[in-house]
This record gives sequence, structure tokens and C-alpha cells, in this order.
Amino acid sequence: MIMRLMQLKGRLFFYLIFILFFSTAVSYLHAQHRVVVNFIGIEFVEIQPGKMIVGKYQPTVSRGWGYDPKRKSEFPQILPETDFERAEQLASAASRPGFMVTIDKLFYIGKFEVTQSQWEKVMGVNPSTFNQELLNVDTRNFPVESVSWKAVQEFIKKLNQLDTVNSYRLPSEFEWEYAARAGATDDIAWNEINKVAVIAKSTPSAVGSKVPNAWGLYDMLGNVWEWVEDFYNEQLFADPVPPQKGSQHVLKGAPFYGDVKNATYMTHAGGPGSKYDVGFRLVMFKKNSK
Amino acid sequence: MKRISCWLILCTSVLALNVKAQNREGETGFKSIFNEKNLKGWHLSRTSHQGTTPKVEIEDGAIVMGDQPFGQGGVLLTNKSYSSFELKIEVKLDSFCNSGIFIRSNEGGAAYQIELSKPGNTGALYGERISPSKVMYAKELDKVWKENDWNEFHIKMVGDTPHVTLWVNGVLMWELQQPKNDFIAGATEGMIGLQCHWTAVYSSSASQGMPLDSWRPNAKVRFRNIRIKQLD
Repeated sequence: MIMRLMQLKGRLFFYLIFILFFSTAVSYLHAQHRVVVNFIGIEFVEIQPGKMIVGKYQPTVSRGWGYDPKRKSEFPQILPETDFERAEQLASAASRPGFMVTIDKLFYIGKFEVTQSQWEKVMGVNPSTFNQELLNVDTRNFPVESVSWKAVQEFIKKLNQLDTVNSYRLPSEFEWEYAARAGATDDIAWNEINKVAVIAKSTPSAVGSKVPNAWGLYDMLGNVWEWVEDFYNEQLFADPVPPQKGSQHVLKGAPFYGDVKNATYMTHAGGPGSKYDVGFRLVMFKKNSK
Repeated sequence: MKRISCWLILCTSVLALNVKAQNREGETGFKSIFNEKNLKGWHLSRTSHQGTTPKVEIEDGAIVMGDQPFGQGGVLLTNKSYSSFELKIEVKLDSFCNSGIFIRSNEGGAAYQIELSKPGNTGALYGERISPSKVMYAKELDKVWKENDWNEFHIKMVGDTPHVTLWVNGVLMWELQQPKNDFIAGATEGMIGLQCHWTAVYSSSASQGMPLDSWRPNAKVRFRNIRIKQLD
């Protein structure tokens, strides 16, 4: 009987240890993606400092179906082998190693793109093209769009006046890409893009309609292009130090009608966009700490 | 005598240019939208998935487009938007070079597209990032096509619900009335765009990219004598 009780105690002890370990792991995971909510209900995810490589270019050379002589093609001609050899040389010459970027401060980034209702709460109007009147559905939770970079600055200025605790700005391009990558060191695979991004559609969707990335952020890719703070350098990728001036600002993330080709962390696009395809998300800091 | 000769040459040249302009104007009321010297009135899309940094040069009065860096294409857009119009444009296309003439394009290159691809369905009406209700094919193209030479495309785009007509080298290829407006947010105007197709993704971790026959190494597409007649 005593032996039996001791066995039971041992088993209970094992269960207790297991539960403690499990709950600690859950709280740790939760702490990694801590979410805070501001005074008008905008959710932000805490992003820990770290490093990433930006602008690494390893262009592919695809033989594709055109090379397979067994497959019936609408195009009977096949590209000569010498072209593939030349392409491999050109791809190799064009490849770039990229450069290391360090994010040295913790920051909070919008869990979602700023919505039409959030914009309206601050600015009193909804400038979006894809509004309830056009789509005949409730679009309050759709990303706000048709907002220029300057209009976004007005929104941020007003939000900063209204909030006494936190301050806001657009993310830098590197902050945005770091948050979008969520630890990914290489580019995102096409089958993953389709899981996380609203692309190949004729309208935007409500924010958060796809699965989040590894750090709990939604719609980093697809839905609407997102303004960032930096000027555009008219190049394929960002420079290690962003330009101090320019005529346009950088857009990241790709739009609802985008393609797997550009709905990646790496795409470095520029304004003005097509008006209805451009929105943004915010970063937040404690007042006087940015 | 030398000075008189110079004046004569100058006057004759100016007169010839005027006659050329009058002929185009007089012919159908078309206006040139490419000055044959630079890209004034045009800009590159900064948001096209084709790429944002293609190589665009002016050679012998023609716009010449190619990929840059390797595998990245792009779309050259007019600064101005057009609603109903007739567009005439001459095209010279290398083989295995997937290009297109975009009509009513947005900044991101979402548009109706007249396909330019040899081998391929040159003269087809496709959509680029939008889905046309109906697509069309230029089934009689081979009868008029001049291989490795300049070919003139004449595109007529009319109405909020698009009515599109294509002639190649003066011969009617097809005429199409769409049942609805297929453009994003019901747009009824947009830019003219010239496409250079991408082949490479940034990394093989994304995918293998487009087959190389979408843009053969060092392939070029050329456009010249681009003129438009607005119909509204």
C-alpha cells in the first residue's frame, strides 16, 4: 500500500513537472510575441532586436517546361542550350551577397495594417477607394488605402497629439523587412506566400484574413503596399544607408493584385503606387524613447 | 555658297519634318507620344512584379528594352492616362522575348495586354494581374507578320465597358466587346505600358522562377513611331 502511494506520488510529481515546463514554454512563446493595444485599439507586436541580411540576390535560371522535349508545348521551338549556359554566366555575374543589418532596439509594430475604421477614428473621414459603398460589404476592418505618404504623416501627427503615453511613426524599411522575415534568413517560398498573403485578387480583404507570420504579424505580404519611412533609391534593393532625400518613398509588401514574384520580404518598390493599392502599418514607442 | 547650302539643308529638313508631322496628323489625327530622343512623358513602374529596374535605351529613334539586372524586367508607362483611344505602335521583337503592350494600366502594371511573344501568341488579348472576361487570339497573324522586322500594331480601346479592336500591319485581327468592365475598382482610364518580362526570382528558396524562354539572355524588344488619338 505504501509502495503504491509512493508510486502514485512519483507519477504526480512527474505530471507536475511536465505541467510546469509546458506552462513556462507557453508563457515564453507568448512573451516573444507580446501584444500591446493602444488607446484606440490598434494592436502592436513586440519585436526583439536582432540581425538580418538584406539585398542578397541569387537570380535563378529556370529551364521550365519549354526545355522538356517530351512535354507537348504550344511553342514548338526550344531555347538552345547555349542560351542556358550564357544565362548561368549572367546570373552568376549579377548575384550579390547582400549586407548585414542590425536592429539594435526593441520596437512595437502593428499586428495588422491600419484599418479604415482606425483611420476614421483619428481623421474623421475614410479616404479608401474600396469602401462599403463600392464593395457593398462592411469594410471597417479593411486596410485603409488611397493614402499618400504625406497624408499618413498627417495621421501620425494627429495620433501623436492624441496619445499621451506612446508615440508613433512609420517603420524604417529595415524594421519592416526584419518584422516581415520573422527570423527567415532566405526568401519566402511561393507555396508559403499563398498562405500568408492576399494576392491575385481584384480587391483588398479585411486585415488578418490569412495566417500570420512566425512572429504573429498579419498581411506583411499582400493586401496593400505599405509605406515605410525611407526615401526610394530607384534600385532593385535598399542601400546599406538609405538616401537622405528623394522624390518618392519606399513601398514594401505587394498589393492585393500582386504576384508571388513580388509578394516577398525582399521586394523594394517605390511610390506613388496606384493610390487604391497603398496603405501602411505603424511602429510604436514609449513617448520620448524613439 | 557654303552658308546658303547649310540654310537650304536646314530649311529642307524642317519642311520634311513638318510634312511628316502633318501626314501623321492629317492621316487620322494621331499625336506622337514618343519624341525619339529621350523618355520625356514616360516613367518606369516602381511597383510592377515584372521588376522596377529594366534597361531602357533610345537607339535609332526607338525605345529598346531589356532585363536589368539579369532576370528582372519592368514596365515603361506613359505619364498620362487615356480612356478611349487609338494607339499605333511599331514593334520589333527578338525571339524568346515575352513582351506586351499594356492598355489602361495602373502604376503596378495591372492592365489589358496585347501579347508580344515569338514564339508565342503575339496579338492575343490577355490580362496582366487582372482577368479579362474574354481573351482573344490573332489567329491570322502569320499571314501579315514580318519576321525579324518592324510590325505595326493598331489598337482601338473604347468605352467604360471595353470594346477593343486590333489590327496588325493594317489588317484586322479581332474585335471584342467585353460584357463588363474588368479593371480594378472599375477604372475607365489608364496608362499605356511597354513590358519586359522577368525570368529570375531573388533566390531559389522562393521558386525556380520563370522559364528562360520568357526572356532569352540579352534579348531586346524595340518600339518606335508611337502615336495616339484620343477619342473622348
